[in-house]
Amino acid sequence: MRGAISLALAGGLTATARPAAFAAAAQTIDVRGLVPALAFAATDAQSGKTVTAAAFRGKIVLLYLGYTNCPDVCPLTLHNIALILHRLGKDRADVRVLFVTVDPNRDSLAVLRRYTALFAPEIIGLRLGPNQLARLARRYRLAYSVSPATASHPYEVLHSSAVYVFDRTGAARLLIPSLASATPDLPGTTADLERLLHGSSAGLLGRLTRHF
Amino acid sequence: MTASLSLGTANRSHAWGVTGPRCAWAVPFALVVVGAALDLASTEAPAAMPVFLPFDFSWFAWLGTVLPVWWFLRGNALLPADERPPPWRQAAFLLGMAAIWAVLQTRYLYLAEHEFFFNRIQHVVMHHLGPFLVALGLAGDPIRRGMPRRIAGVVTHRLIRRAIAPLQQPFVAAFLFVGLVALWLIPPVHFRAMISDRLFWIMNWSMVLDGLLFWCMVLDPRPAPPARAGYGARAAMAVGVIFPQILIGALIVFARYDIYPYYDFCGRFFPTISPRYDQLVGGMVVWIPPAMMSVIALILVLNHLRRAEESAPRPLDPRAARMEALSARWTGRPDARTNQTTTRDDLP
Repeated sequence: MRGAISLALAGGLTATARPAAFAAAAQTIDVRGLVPALAFAATDAQSGKTVTAAAFRGKIVLLYLGYTNCPDVCPLTLHNIALILHRLGKDRADVRVLFVTVDPNRDSLAVLRRYTALFAPEIIGLRLGPNQLARLARRYRLAYSVSPATASHPYEVLHSSAVYVFDRTGAARLLIPSLASATPDLPGTTADLERLLHGSSAGLLGRLTRHF
Repeated sequence: MTASLSLGTANRSHAWGVTGPRCAWAVPFALVVVGAALDLASTEAPAAMPVFLPFDFSWFAWLGTVLPVWWFLRGNALLPADERPPPWRQAAFLLGMAAIWAVLQTRYLYLAEHEFFFNRIQHVVMHHLGPFLVALGLAGDPIRRGMPRRIAGVVTHRLIRRAIAPLQQPFVAAFLFVGLVALWLIPPVHFRAMISDRLFWIMNWSMVLDGLLFWCMVLDPRPAPPARAGYGARAAMAVGVIFPQILIGALIVFARYDIYPYYDFCGRFFPTISPRYDQLVGGMVVWIPPAMMSVIALILVLNHLRRAEESAPRPLDPRAARMEALSARWTGRPDARTNQTTTRDDLP
């Protein structure tokens, strides 16, 4: 991964030099061995049935938290994901994008289904109960909150911008910091996904470093 | 705390009293049961947990705080009144443990995971404030007295003491203290520690244990020996750690870009606070409160030194004793011969 963070390159606490780890070009960050494997139980907006992570073994999975009333970040992110899927060509059949709503009060299964269909067929809307959602967010260190409208405040939903990528075995591999930008690095992100799709599985060194 | 003082004397012989043999096993057992219930609740119903209950239950955090507190209360009840730490020290110990528990387990943990300056406040409490208060409590004797003999035998074992001894060299202790602050703030290390559950807990516990090691050493009121280092060395430790921490804080405050993008990726608690401003406040938290705590520690070390000198045997040389009596007129110290303080009114 071009943007892989490396302890060896630790920039120290130098305030002047931008650490290589977080250069502007870092479209993805290697999180292998740091983030737990994909695990959840949710309602699939398409079928209305409960699905678990096991249903996605064998696919590359992108996990993203958002809500359908989102004015900017979610549509932009999903649009960019649709562009990446387009770039992947035939490989897109092996990719699934899980769009987990953090606003299940307003995002009914029908709303979710209609919303994800606007972007790409590989995007699957998932609805979780409050406890399952809290567990999922805690597991992947993702922030979210829903504040119902009051007399002085409109209805407000907050969520993280990160997209996690899991490999065919369900292991966490990449963190895409954000695709909510007008100028995302689509070729770079696509290339990183292709590397995962074509299973250039880590060599001995990669397997060793996975444990640290 | 007051319970420990009263229950101890009233129920000393009673099997179910705080000091009784049954309580020695029943209370830890009850704590394990409560822990299991909290574990289950935090796993199954995280959204329904009140803010003061574990956001992400950890057995190590639970037993690591409730067992020492229980042993401390029990030990105080068992110890004769004159060997117990005074009430304010007992309160400091309990407050310190409560503070460590609060930042490690309550919903505050969520804040510390999602806003850099909250994370820095968490570290100040874990590494400075909490252990500082615990060290003020002088809880070692009550805890050893209150814990089962076998466990006390293990923790006070020669080999454990020998393993810790190198870390209690003043220079090593100060280096570790600052080194750990710096280590977990190296940007790529910080990113990994925040995103990985395992590294997150290694980071948190390394900070708590190192904080305890450092402050228990610095705030030991006794002279050396039995304390690990002399008053001078301890004063130097307290002051010495100020400067590297100011440097680290300043590097963060004056950084010209977002050096900890983890918070941006995974979402901030206050999305309206810009990354740079969050970082600036976080850097200030690294910079200022630790320096203030070091100054308080320095004052306490100097006070311990003064008390140790005053309680030291007085010179037997009659001329030196006369000189001391004379000096008592302006120092306000008790007269070595009469052991009474000379005030201005007493003077002829």
